[in-house]
Amino acid sequence: MTEHPTPQGPRVTRTPQPTPSHGRRAGGMGSQSQDPVPDSPQDPVPDGPPERGPDRGGEQTDPLQTDRLQYLDVATRRIARGMDLDETLRELRRAAVPAFADAIIVHLHDPLPVGDEKSAAPVVLQLHSVSRKPQAPQASPSPLLKTHPLHSDIAERVRPDAAGRLSKLLLAGRPAFGDAPGIAPAVAELLGPLASAPEAIPPGRRLIIAPLHGRRHVMGTVVLLRRSDRTPFTRDDLLVASQLATHTAIGVQKAVMYGHEASVADTLQHTMLPSSLPEPTGIRLASRYLPASKTAQVGGDWYDAIPLPGSRVALIVGDVMGHSMTSAAIMGQLRTIVQTLAGLDLPPDEVLHHLDEQAQRLGSDHIATCLYAIYDPISHRLLIANAGHPPAVLLHADGHGEVLRVPPAAPIGVGGVDFESVEMHAPTGATLLLYTDGLVESRETDVGTGVEALRTSLRTVADGHSAPSLELLCDHILGAMVPGSRDDDIALLTARFEGFPPDSVGYWHLDPHPLTAGQARRLTRRALRRWDLESMLDSTELMVSEVVTNAVRFASRPIALRLLRTDVLRCEVTDDSSQVPRMRQAQPGDEGGRGLFLVDQLAQRWGATRLSTGKVVWFEQQIPKKPPKEPSKEPKK
Amino acid sequence: MSDEADYQSIRFDRSGQAEAFDAIGDRYDEAFPHKEGQLSAGEWLIDSLPAGSRVLDLGCGTGVPTTRQMTDAGFEVVGVDLSRRMVQLARGYVPAATFHQLDIADLRPGGPHDLGRFDAVAAFFSLLMLPRVEIPLALRTVRHLLVPGGLFVLSMVEADVDNYAIPFLGNTIRVSGYLLEDLHKVIEAGGFEIVKEAAYTYAPAIADVPPEEQVFLCCRRHD
Repeated sequence: MTEHPTPQGPRVTRTPQPTPSHGRRAGGMGSQSQDPVPDSPQDPVPDGPPERGPDRGGEQTDPLQTDRLQYLDVATRRIARGMDLDETLRELRRAAVPAFADAIIVHLHDPLPVGDEKSAAPVVLQLHSVSRKPQAPQASPSPLLKTHPLHSDIAERVRPDAAGRLSKLLLAGRPAFGDAPGIAPAVAELLGPLASAPEAIPPGRRLIIAPLHGRRHVMGTVVLLRRSDRTPFTRDDLLVASQLATHTAIGVQKAVMYGHEASVADTLQHTMLPSSLPEPTGIRLASRYLPASKTAQVGGDWYDAIPLPGSRVALIVGDVMGHSMTSAAIMGQLRTIVQTLAGLDLPPDEVLHHLDEQAQRLGSDHIATCLYAIYDPISHRLLIANAGHPPAVLLHADGHGEVLRVPPAAPIGVGGVDFESVEMHAPTGATLLLYTDGLVESRETDVGTGVEALRTSLRTVADGHSAPSLELLCDHILGAMVPGSRDDDIALLTARFEGFPPDSVGYWHLDPHPLTAGQARRLTRRALRRWDLESMLDSTELMVSEVVTNAVRFASRPIALRLLRTDVLRCEVTDDSSQVPRMRQAQPGDEGGRGLFLVDQLAQRWGATRLSTGKVVWFEQQIPKKPPKEPSKEPKK
Repeated sequence: MSDEADYQSIRFDRSGQAEAFDAIGDRYDEAFPHKEGQLSAGEWLIDSLPAGSRVLDLGCGTGVPTTRQMTDAGFEVVGVDLSRRMVQLARGYVPAATFHQLDIADLRPGGPHDLGRFDAVAAFFSLLMLPRVEIPLALRTVRHLLVPGGLFVLSMVEADVDNYAIPFLGNTIRVSGYLLEDLHKVIEAGGFEIVKEAAYTYAPAIADVPPEEQVFLCCRRHD
């Protein structure tokens, strides 16, 4: 700062700040003697750089420079403090108006460039914000400085002519006075027709236009204006403006990168959550995920629903502690581990036990809570184990919300925890609610109070409708429980038990021997006749025979044949050999191997899953829409 | 070949079976709460027998529902179970009946215990606790316990397994079973005429016991 003192001009008096965008504004243009220290130390608001007034004419240059530096120090610190775009620019405006200028007009490149890539798209500047000092009675007539209306008088979107003055200015990257050679057309291009109105630009050096220039890109522009009754800008002020613009550009770039990172994390997390829930028979599912309000707050919440053999379904909700990209990444890994463990058809306590072991291998300081439940629609039972997670709530058909008492063992990642599966009745029509702590806990509410509030909200939803749809229920719960601003992300998984009657099931243990396939065929025939599915006899018998033949070859203990009739006919053959068969085209002379090829041809879906106790090979066929006779849905007992 | 000789040729292995039911106790009835099939087979006995008939409940468990149902119908009922705990429970639940902690093998012709002759024998889910090789012998014992023309109701789980160890209510038990056609043959070979049959898929009210195919047979001693 080597500039000479500003030419004399009228002092601007301290002005109160009624404009909403200046809510925290205190202090103002008072002279150093009147207001030597700007604001309290906690919330420093810069005084403007000193303008040479008549009463300061005799003073030394040095204090003025010191003041200027003080102003810049506070202003740039505050600009740098902003975490997002709006905050950064709000700080710029607060620093600039009224201390340094009477109005500020900010335009930003739209869209703001991310990273260092060059974009071929033409520059578009979008008006971001305007701040003005309230107008004094004797104010200048400039429409740019008028307090009202705030925005409507300035062009919203500007496409600078690639060969025009504005583009040139943007490329040059240096701030300029409005009266500098060739700048007036650039200002006119930016501010639109208004700028060319008579007296729009105050006379003399009362306009500075400063490009916001990031590492590689133009980020936008800042226009600073002083009224004609205020002292014009000096060459020192141009340097002040340059500093403000530089720090603002850095802040904008930082905010853009930060927002980009948050959106990457957000995308990462969403990718790791189920894109859709399965639609198994015997249960209905709906889910919600709400990220935390602060954009960069990535959560580690997850939920899942995994179909298991026997038409059972594993229902999972979990929460990795912390809010970071790491939480989301760990969540993704834990979810995959749970899926793998669920595939083995382990009981809930064992799933959590192995999850705990695996989680420790991911790192020593990853803690997560997890609740794992298995619903069996045939036995109408629910099996739950809990690793430090808030309790599940069972919403009964009458609206009563039962907090399920499952010992909440230590969280995943602690190690050496003894998890316990608790079994309970899962009445048809009841709805299981699994959620993360974000739903019931906040800075103001503990989990217990939150769960009570959840139960209360459930009563009101059940009052209105006897059985609200799950989508409605989810919306109701979030509406009742979730405030506008959340510290934490929220996952909610709801599962309504529909069950199905035992007479849609056939289940037999069969000793493996050469006659087993024939027996399985006969049992299948009998079951399909009972279910009026004669049209499916041939294909089903054939496939059952092939799969059972395969199972018998490897089994050392009795195999299990299970038939399930819902909207599909599902057949499962379980044996104690963990060797999972692979489909291959049978070669001439091959004894086996044709079986699965056949199944693949005939079945709608099929699969082979390794279990902890062996494997299950299953296949499904669509049941023809209109069977000749509607089979009885009631259990025969 | 006499029954005695047959029984002597078999090494009985009841290890764990009674102990499992001692441990299970009342939980058995909690896991299998719906007994409509069993009750309706009992109804058949009640409809078919004159008042005051003697009925043996073989493998009576807690005495609920069959011993109680027979007692309530005015029959003279004797309950037998291998599990000490079950007999204890049954005595509490059905004080009007007489109970013995016995093995079915103890009741064989010429065996250590003679409970006399009965107008009917009920064996619900009890013969399945025997290895297959013993089941024909058990049927002969039942036949021996019945008066000529006496009635026999039984239930089994349809399966093709022999002395197969399965997890059951937190314990392990060994069970045997036949597929329906084979069961018919075994029962008929045992000297019974099958009068009535009912089959149900039954889903126990417990997650670790899979649904099962239950078969109820109403038979008459074939003379």
